[in-house]
Amino acid sequence: MENTVVSYFFQFDCVKDFLARMSESLGFNVIPLFVVAVFLLAILVVIGGLALVGGAGTLAERKISADMQLRYGPNRVGPYGLLQFLADGVKMFLKEDVIPTDADKFLYLVAPVLCIVGVFGTFAVIPFSDGFAITDLNVGVFYLFGISSLVGVGVFLGGYASNSKWSLLGGLRGASQIVSYEIPVTLSALSIVLLAGGLSFGTIIGAQSNLLEQYSWGHGLPWNWFIFHNPFTIVGFFIFFIGALAEANRAPFDLPEAESELVSGYHTEYSGMRYAFFALAEYIEIFVVCGTAVALFLGGYNVPFKIGGDGIVGQLLQAGVFIGKTFAMYYVVIWVRWTLPRLRVDQLMTLCWKYLTPISLFNLIGCAVWMYLFNGKSFLQLFF
Amino acid sequence: MFEIGLFSYLVIGLILFATGILVMIARKNIIAILLGIELILNAAALNFVAYSKYSVGNLDGHVFSLFIIVVAAAEAAVGLAIVIRFFQIKETAHIDDAVLLKN
Amino acid sequence: MFGTILFICSAIFTICGAVMVAVSKNVIHASIYLLISLIGVAGLYLTLGADFVAVTQLVVYVGGVVILMLFAIMLTGGADLKVVSRYGFTKDPGMGSLKTYVIGGLTSLFMAIVTGKLIYNAVINTTTENQLNMENSVEQTVSKIGTLLVTKHVLAFEISSILLLGALVGAAIIARPVKLGDE
Repeated sequence: MENTVVSYFFQFDCVKDFLARMSESLGFNVIPLFVVAVFLLAILVVIGGLALVGGAGTLAERKISADMQLRYGPNRVGPYGLLQFLADGVKMFLKEDVIPTDADKFLYLVAPVLCIVGVFGTFAVIPFSDGFAITDLNVGVFYLFGISSLVGVGVFLGGYASNSKWSLLGGLRGASQIVSYEIPVTLSALSIVLLAGGLSFGTIIGAQSNLLEQYSWGHGLPWNWFIFHNPFTIVGFFIFFIGALAEANRAPFDLPEAESELVSGYHTEYSGMRYAFFALAEYIEIFVVCGTAVALFLGGYNVPFKIGGDGIVGQLLQAGVFIGKTFAMYYVVIWVRWTLPRLRVDQLMTLCWKYLTPISLFNLIGCAVWMYLFNGKSFLQLFF
Repeated sequence: MFEIGLFSYLVIGLILFATGILVMIARKNIIAILLGIELILNAAALNFVAYSKYSVGNLDGHVFSLFIIVVAAAEAAVGLAIVIRFFQIKETAHIDDAVLLKN
Repeated sequence: MFGTILFICSAIFTICGAVMVAVSKNVIHASIYLLISLIGVAGLYLTLGADFVAVTQLVVYVGGVVILMLFAIMLTGGADLKVVSRYGFTKDPGMGSLKTYVIGGLTSLFMAIVTGKLIYNAVINTTTENQLNMENSVEQTVSKIGTLLVTKHVLAFEISSILLLGALVGAAIIARPVKLGDE
């Protein structure tokens, strides 16, 4: 636990001083209390902020799709319809929570919880800035893939427990799709791990800060990003992005919830707050996969020219850069959804197993060979 | 507050192992038996890691439990494939129907 | 303190999950309880400072084995399958009967007593002097495990890769649907 929010605060002398004085005056050691409080606060901030992101995601999707189709989109609640997601949330809360008679009650109740736990569990390692990640596990990337596979179980169980044909088909499709696409995604992330020499997001993003030592002004500029490291990582980025779209059940891979053939797939039978859990999990998972893509390939929280330094301002700028890049990716995801038609199931599996998996395996070997031949130098370092 | 030591981990491993044996013997569904096998393998892996920390002091136990996880995954894949094949032939997943070699 | 809390939570998860696997009457429920139990074991690994093993446990079991189990359960007819044998009479359902539970309980009790005695003797005889330090338990295990895997245990590593390849090919061939005209 060397690198957490708490350890960020502990590097300031005033905090230590304050804690020592508090312990003295109160008569007991307040440091554990402080640690718990900081963690709870950070978790509350992150979860609250991301519930907001999930809500804003639904609104953004409706607004952007309306824009692409020359409509207005929601424009009644609040200025420009900005409060529409709050209204939606209130509606979800007030709706009756229906459990179908023939549903498997235990699984029906546990499925949305698994989804939401899987998504929120990933935020333990999402690196918003080098101080404000909740924790920087030294197996961060691996942990992220592990905990986010709970979503697959949740989708599958949601489909199974509803005891409806559409839900069952959606759940089966969802689970097989998530399990299959995990392989190319993990392999292309593995090539980045190979280049960075570490599984923690801190190491990976640190390796993208400045490649050319002699030009120290180039800190955080796009040519340091891993996507431009060598030809294999460019391909790897697109594989990662395609696979991430499929893992987040987004169009053109939204077969589990294909509304024109399966009504809405695994959450057909859900209503009220449980449906909201599924929807929220979906929209936040897009944020997670976009954030992972940004951290792995697009330079993460590195601020160009190191504006702001290491202080509080720098941390805020870093978080701003990270979230800005992630929202740009989020826009691309929505854009893709409203542009491309949906694939068929067999095409989906063909794409994964016959194209993406071999290409990503080739990429991994290619990255290893590149590292061996050029001593881990990037494309740019070979010329400068 | 009690002291967490080697013994507590071994007791948990023992409980996992005993429940695994119970599941393996009591169940008649082949997949449920596979669930019991997973429990037993996990008990073994947990013991390896606990000994690695408290008794040996190096990381060989971690490597062993990684291999156990690998073997468990392979076992689950092949076992479930056999179950599915068996179901295609006999239309049941009941262990008492697997008597093709009898007589 | 955090270690103790994490240990207690994980132990409760592990043991309750395992017991529920043994007593639940539904295979799908049992596999979800198995999932809970395995997540508890991952937490126990964390308290032992084995972060890499914990995360591997999470990745392999949550993302792989449990979903595989769920698929197999669905492909073999679901939870409450009333099995009718070829000979025309209904068999006892797949989740065991009182008879099997008594036999299984006695067997596992016997084995638990034997192993418990062994463990007790082992722990009594183990010197606690070469215990690792609790404080620096969360150290970098990943690089050390990686080094061990390609030096000391390289043969086992290669064999396990061959095992995985064999399992992959074998499972794909065994579970292939029967073509018309075969058999």
